[in-house]
Amino acid sequence: MATHIRIEGVSKSFGMQQANRDVSLDIRAGRILALLGENGAGKSTLMSILAGTLAPDSGRILVDGQPLPPGNPAASLGAGIGMVHQHFLLMDQLRVSQNVCLGLPGAFWLSPRRMAALVRDVSSRFGLEVDPDARIAALSMGERQRVEILKLLARDCNALIFDEPTAVLTPGEAAILADALCGMVTQGKAVVFISHKLPEIMALAARAPVDVAVLRQGEVVARYDLTTDTPAEGELIRAMVGREVDLAQVERLAAAPHVLGEEVLVCRNLQVPGLQGVSLGVRKGEIVALAGVAGNGQKPLVEVLAGVQPPQGGEVRLLGQPWHAFYSGEEPGRGLVVIPEDRRGAATAGNLDLLDNYLLTTRRRYTRGGLIDRRQALDDLRQIIDDFNVRPPVPTTPGGRLSGGNLQKLVLGREFSREPGMVVAEQPAQGLDVGATEDVWRRLLAMRARAGVLLVTSDLTEALLLADRVLVLYAGRIMGEVRRGISSLETEEARGKIGRWMAGLD
Amino acid sequence: MTPDMVDMLAMLTPLLAAAIQSGAPLLFATVGEIITERSGTLNLGVEGMMLCGALAAFVVSLGTGSPWLGALAGCAAGALLAVLHGLATLTCGGNQVVSGLALTILGVGLADTLGAGHIGQVAPGFDPVAIPVLSSIPVLGPALFTQDALVYLSFGTPLAVWVLLFRTRWGLHLQAAGENPAAARAAGVSPLRWRWIGILAGGALCGLGGAYLSLSATHLWTTNLTAGRGWIAVALVIFCAWRPQRAMLGAYLFGGVMALQLRLQAMGAALPSSLLLMMPYAMTVLALVAFSRAKSRAAGRNLPPAALGVPLAGPQGGEGR
Amino acid sequence: MPLRLVDRTKPLPWGGFFVATISLAAALAVCALLLTWQGKPGLHGVWLLVDGGFLHGYALEDAVRKAIPIFLCSLGVALCFRMKLWNIGAEGQFALGAVGATAVALRFGHWPAWAVLPCMCLAGAAAGALWALGPALLKRRLGVNEIITTLMANYIGVLVLQYLVYGAWKDPVSFGFPMTELFSDAAQVGLLPGSRIHYGLLYCVAAGLGFWWWISRTRLGFELVVSGENSRAARFAHMPYGMLICLAMGGCGALAGVAGFLEASASVHRLQPSIMVGYGFTAVVVAWLGRLRVPAIAAFSFLLAGFRVGVENLQIELQAPAAMAGVLEGTILMAVLSGQLLNHRRLVWISRRTTP
Repeated sequence: MATHIRIEGVSKSFGMQQANRDVSLDIRAGRILALLGENGAGKSTLMSILAGTLAPDSGRILVDGQPLPPGNPAASLGAGIGMVHQHFLLMDQLRVSQNVCLGLPGAFWLSPRRMAALVRDVSSRFGLEVDPDARIAALSMGERQRVEILKLLARDCNALIFDEPTAVLTPGEAAILADALCGMVTQGKAVVFISHKLPEIMALAARAPVDVAVLRQGEVVARYDLTTDTPAEGELIRAMVGREVDLAQVERLAAAPHVLGEEVLVCRNLQVPGLQGVSLGVRKGEIVALAGVAGNGQKPLVEVLAGVQPPQGGEVRLLGQPWHAFYSGEEPGRGLVVIPEDRRGAATAGNLDLLDNYLLTTRRRYTRGGLIDRRQALDDLRQIIDDFNVRPPVPTTPGGRLSGGNLQKLVLGREFSREPGMVVAEQPAQGLDVGATEDVWRRLLAMRARAGVLLVTSDLTEALLLADRVLVLYAGRIMGEVRRGISSLETEEARGKIGRWMAGLD
Repeated sequence: MTPDMVDMLAMLTPLLAAAIQSGAPLLFATVGEIITERSGTLNLGVEGMMLCGALAAFVVSLGTGSPWLGALAGCAAGALLAVLHGLATLTCGGNQVVSGLALTILGVGLADTLGAGHIGQVAPGFDPVAIPVLSSIPVLGPALFTQDALVYLSFGTPLAVWVLLFRTRWGLHLQAAGENPAAARAAGVSPLRWRWIGILAGGALCGLGGAYLSLSATHLWTTNLTAGRGWIAVALVIFCAWRPQRAMLGAYLFGGVMALQLRLQAMGAALPSSLLLMMPYAMTVLALVAFSRAKSRAAGRNLPPAALGVPLAGPQGGEGR
Repeated sequence: MPLRLVDRTKPLPWGGFFVATISLAAALAVCALLLTWQGKPGLHGVWLLVDGGFLHGYALEDAVRKAIPIFLCSLGVALCFRMKLWNIGAEGQFALGAVGATAVALRFGHWPAWAVLPCMCLAGAAAGALWALGPALLKRRLGVNEIITTLMANYIGVLVLQYLVYGAWKDPVSFGFPMTELFSDAAQVGLLPGSRIHYGLLYCVAAGLGFWWWISRTRLGFELVVSGENSRAARFAHMPYGMLICLAMGGCGALAGVAGFLEASASVHRLQPSIMVGYGFTAVVVAWLGRLRVPAIAAFSFLLAGFRVGVENLQIELQAPAAMAGVLEGTILMAVLSGQLLNHRRLVWISRRTTP
């Protein structure tokens, strides 16, 4: 039972991007290992390697001294390593007992009564109550997660990996999970807990032995044993997000004096699934950043502002018009442009060439009597390709062939050419290299002269650098607001505050 | 009992018997397609598989003199065509709708081409066998228990499939392939293997449905023997919400409509035959409409398998991320 | 297994052509096998098929005549497929088009040609479009599966045609044959001078050019192409998705309806059940093979029409059944579908020692 898992020098890259770089960690029975890190720090990749769904480029995993075959989920499961994924792997229309018993060795005939008894037995041992006969579709997220855990416990897994388990839970459900985790640890299981929320880790540390490893850009940057160490929250936050970027020039641009105009976006108590009454406003001439960890309501908010889904409660005014009036009529959404996070899925079409991708949102400008004037559009596109330095500069290239950065430049050029009064930019610099990132930031700043900008981002540095005001979105609510600081001291203070809000601390 | 009631009951028995007979091929095909769709593959080639099954059954029965060997050949022919669907969709990752359509066009073409020489021939088929005691139950007895062997088999098929799907490990594995292949893979169950099994088993049952048409319903071969029954079966799968036990209800309902329509024609009803012939097709559309309303009302019930039509990632069944 | 499929970084050059050629060869090989199985000379049969379909003046004329309805139906089906609408109902829409045109021809046959022909064409298009809009609306409003509704509409459409020609519209002097009386001269689409090809070819040229122009020049055409390519991006760009669904289905119905009008008026000069020979189903194959490219749709229409003529030659020479055309079409479609794999992946031999 005394399982000891050792991760030795694991590296993994996807194309150009290094997800894990020479990571070594120990996972011990009877302890919780908390993996902290920002989105994209490489936590999930590392754990997928451990669970066998991904194979490492180099390095190995030892279970009680025995090397684990790489990239083999069955072998990992056989060695007692199980993972509760962020997106549950459940059969929604089948019953709890069927989900738990899938793949378990046993008799050919399945008796619902015996299957239910097995589920009840395991769930009572670990305090994870769930009705074995319920269909998954009828369960809450918390109950579904319990089913996922039961699946692993029914197989006698000794090491359980939880990938951001509380992201989908209500506070009450999170408390039940914490109880269960502590129960598992006392029964000698090893638990890996991936998170970016500090309070949870601290709460767990008060009840069970917790090790902390902080991952940043694929590397372990800090380790603590919370039974002996007591790092300050600020220290942990800095380890997670404290990237120092020298962008004095952009900073100067951002701080340059500018005039505020009329309100271009007003949300009052906006309600849709995933948002619980969001109120915010953006004026012409300012950049307002909406910071927060992805999955806290950004997607529904952007979809409402983009006109893809209607608001279900509260009031939204865009460029002075109510939402329904703004998104109806001959030219719906005129004057508002959206730069969605999902460039390939929502902003472009991979099989269409650059000209058609350009026309995707600008088509009305080139329409005369129902016909599209492609020659005129091509001239304008060439200009944009030139201005924004899109590579390759060939209008017949399919959009899918462009790199992420070049695609983003095309999208920015296209949207900015529509002379917007309001810009909604979601993670505009994600996945871009340093040069391209700086370029995108300059262009957003330049946009201030003509429009109001709502910058939806999970990158604190970006938010603090560009925005006049930073709002923090957490669990579908605005946690608070900070204004741009003048001195670096003020900025440092703001960073601390925002970091706490993003982690759900008041 | 008044003489009127006796008359009505006398009418009812043959109609019931006819409904069960017309329903039997639909039942085989519907249950077969349920198995295939439960494993996550949509196979629109039912019509083609049925027709090829009908021809193979007829030819083998004609050649060997054994209708049982014929029925077996029908299953084999259906499964063989289904292999093509598996190769196109599972091995090559092709679109399931297009592959199913191609299978129908190909299957109908093959059957009519190879069967052209047999038109009008008579093959040994299945004849009604009265089951002692049971067949003497008034009204129901003659309808249910004076049928041929394939009809008796059709009573047992949905029950057997229900038990296999919902009471055995195999059924759970097959359903996992159709509900969430990733979950199956994580639990050490190969969704690729179970999708193949689903496709083959479904093809065999569709072939058996065809065999019924050429060996039981008629004992002779004509072109276009199925007359759209394969497509009705595809619609019945939706109608009965992917449940084999409900397939009986749907198949006998539609069998009843077909039987009634034939009976009315034979009786020289005032309606022209083309309008009567429309009944099953129009009813199929109505059934889908009614069901879809019901679906939106009962929100979240009677849904198709979650991964129906979703290809497995990667040609080898999910080596990719 | 030592054989593995590996992703290609670039699509195979000329891959589409390569796959199409192999598929054609496969289809002809299947035909040869079937003929041999039936005790007929297989290779000679394939020669008869090709020779009878493509290598004579009269064969080519026949192929063009058959290609006309297939081409028109395929254009429409291609629109629907682009929107990921699996409309298999061209056959029924074709039937209703013929019925609509016939209604005008029988009632207003005494009108001059310049008046009655356009009216017939419009009536055919309208009837076909209405027949297609039913499933479109059911799909949009209630989410009813359009594959089955369009298919059932095919059976019903053919029965509507039969109901009329066996009943109200039956020619009293037809000796009991199910057909309407011959259309008046004015209501017949004539032949191109010096050939057996009717003016329907010009309808095809017009429809093909119009289709190409609409797809590549108009804003609605552009929106349809984009919506089919990426519906999420289309929603972010505020495109009228629901309207486009009805437009594609209605357009398909109208085109198939015109095909039905031409078949009744130009080919047989009356309405009779024998005009239903499955052009609508062939159109499904052509539309999927040709995508939205008009020249490709024209080429595949001609090819499959030629095979139909060739099969007729086989029927005469070897008494082979007409259903052979279905075998050819099914095999080609199945082979092209499976063969697309080779465009994006290749088979490599991995030696056993290097695999773990």
